[in-house]
Amino acid sequence: MDAVVTSMAKEPDARAEALVASYERAGYRRTAPAILQPAEPFLDLSGEDIRKRMFLTSAPGGEEFCLRPDLTIPVSRDYLASPSAGKPESFCYLAPVFRHRQDGPAEFLQAGIESFGRADKAAADAEMLALALEATGHYGLAAPQIQIGDVALFSALIAALELAPAWKRRLIKDFNRKSNLAQDLDRLVLGTTNGQQEYQGVLAALAGSDPKGAHALVTDLLSIAGITAVGGRSVGEIAERFLEQAALGAGNKLPREQRALIERFLAVSGDPDEAAAELRALADEAKIALTPMLDLFESRTGFLAARGIDVRSIRFSTAFGRGFDYYTGFVFELSAAPSGSDQLVSGGRYDGLLTRLGASEPISAVGFAVWIERLVALGGAA
Amino acid sequence: MSAPLVLAVPAKGRLQENAEAFFARAGLPLIKPRGARDYRGAIAGLDGVEVAYLSASEITQQLAQGGAHLGVTGEDLVREMIPDADKRVVLVTGLGFGFANVVVAVPQAWIDVRNMADLDDVATAFRHHHDRKMRVATKYVNLTRDYFAAQGVVDYRIVESSGATEGAPAAGTAELIVDITTTGATLAANALKIVDDGVILRSQANLVASRAATWGAAEREVARVILDRIAAQARARAFREVRSRFPGCDEAIVSAAKQRFGIETPFGGPTSSGMLTLHCPPDQVYELTSFLRDRGAQAVSVADLGYVFSRDNPLYAKLEAGLA
Repeated sequence: MDAVVTSMAKEPDARAEALVASYERAGYRRTAPAILQPAEPFLDLSGEDIRKRMFLTSAPGGEEFCLRPDLTIPVSRDYLASPSAGKPESFCYLAPVFRHRQDGPAEFLQAGIESFGRADKAAADAEMLALALEATGHYGLAAPQIQIGDVALFSALIAALELAPAWKRRLIKDFNRKSNLAQDLDRLVLGTTNGQQEYQGVLAALAGSDPKGAHALVTDLLSIAGITAVGGRSVGEIAERFLEQAALGAGNKLPREQRALIERFLAVSGDPDEAAAELRALADEAKIALTPMLDLFESRTGFLAARGIDVRSIRFSTAFGRGFDYYTGFVFELSAAPSGSDQLVSGGRYDGLLTRLGASEPISAVGFAVWIERLVALGGAA
Repeated sequence: MSAPLVLAVPAKGRLQENAEAFFARAGLPLIKPRGARDYRGAIAGLDGVEVAYLSASEITQQLAQGGAHLGVTGEDLVREMIPDADKRVVLVTGLGFGFANVVVAVPQAWIDVRNMADLDDVATAFRHHHDRKMRVATKYVNLTRDYFAAQGVVDYRIVESSGATEGAPAAGTAELIVDITTTGATLAANALKIVDDGVILRSQANLVASRAATWGAAEREVARVILDRIAAQARARAFREVRSRFPGCDEAIVSAAKQRFGIETPFGGPTSSGMLTLHCPPDQVYELTSFLRDRGAQAVSVADLGYVFSRDNPLYAKLEAGLA
């Protein structure tokens, strides 16, 4: 049998308790969300792929529940349900989470922080990294490797490019999922929209026509084919996508210089100051507006320095993301050894999360999670 | 006394009929000594086997857990129900029935969706339009998730469906489905079409061995006999016996025939008197007979084969390799 169930360490880890106590002293209220959570938000936000790592169960009525696989979503949901939703609130936690894993017990401890509603984003970002460094410091690792990124920069770059909406969506998605970005860039440059050749005639006829014309065409096509039921998507949506495809087919492929720009952008890395200077030069040269994002970026770097963090030791990369599409800005990971080793602390800004959990107004949010067992393994005896 | 080898076969429907016919053809008739309603049986003339009649999904579970040594079940269920299936079971051989494909099907009205790349694009656009993810109705949760992940499709949600999945888009409980289909007729009747590269798995009934079951010497010996007979029957079905005798028959003719028709020579080349016995794939038989007659054969006889036993036992070798 797999070692799914393994008893927790009998002794609560004193250093973890001390860490969370220090977070409480810093003004973060300790919280303990329910272990049993509705499964829907996790599946919706993290994607179906997380399902195979979750412990799922269902209520007699069929509603799916799970043992919480992380604490960010439970803490966010509790905050949203509380009277202070929308107001600045900061929480810390130290609690078990539950995931199927190949390489360890399914129940393991995470500590962490979630900070909501702060308007001073650059300062809040810097505070997260400083508090994350406290965590490794508690385990004797004063100077872990710090990897940071900023998802907002890539989004701003793509928004500034003259590109069909379909391709923008796709590039952002690829970036977030660290998946087929290079492949999609190839396709963009070549201008092949895989397998659409059969439709080239129709698409060419549609190119330049208005949504109304496209709507009429799709309606006619469907009636000629004898299709009456339109499942899930409206005729308007299908027509709109045809128009997008037509636009793509009509020579709207990515010019090579645009691709070169994206690749140059994604190759920028180094310490944050160097990188910011490089990105400003790149933005000037390409005449794209990255100034607001870069101002925030540099302001954040300033706050990091003010907190006594050696900024020159930080590795920044434009291509660094966390693989979840709800991160919207600053992202970071701390690890012990050079790249490839497990992260000890990971986090970032997820301003988009709370609206997706049902908040009526956008609420800024930033936080991180600490892998206690990895720190314990690393730190040896206290 | 050692425990019997447990052979799990489907308890009802076409799968049961096909499985019984299959074992009967292999000279392994399944019998129910205690009456037709019994869910335990045996193989006539072969001791040390207990036949367990179960549902296809129970068979799959039993194979995963080691409750059955061998079982007949669809590859679709094996891939869906058993995580890391190749570590837990050995797919010994396809049985030539129970063919079905697990496919991604979308409404026919989605005339802009031809392939999985389109579907990916539509999924992302759908989320922007509707502020929720596209829903995929299926009972193949794991196959769907793995295939969609491999195709880079992320903006979707799975809605588990235990029956009449093809009706989900019309009923409005999902936008598309992943389901099993043989002819596609049911999909078409529900105004659905298969995405071009949306065939996730081409499945058929398989003889599957459990790696978790206890494989002592006795169980292995029984399995060896069963697989020997199945292999002999499978080989017999894959060939016709072609015989002739003519003076000009020599090695050159035989090797030319091997090249052209994929024949085998179970008993070696022509005898000194020109007597020749060949095994030939059924669809090549006529061409082979013409070929032989052109070269001097006065008569060529062709016969069906009952069994072809050979020294080697490829299916058992595969089982042993898989259990190692």
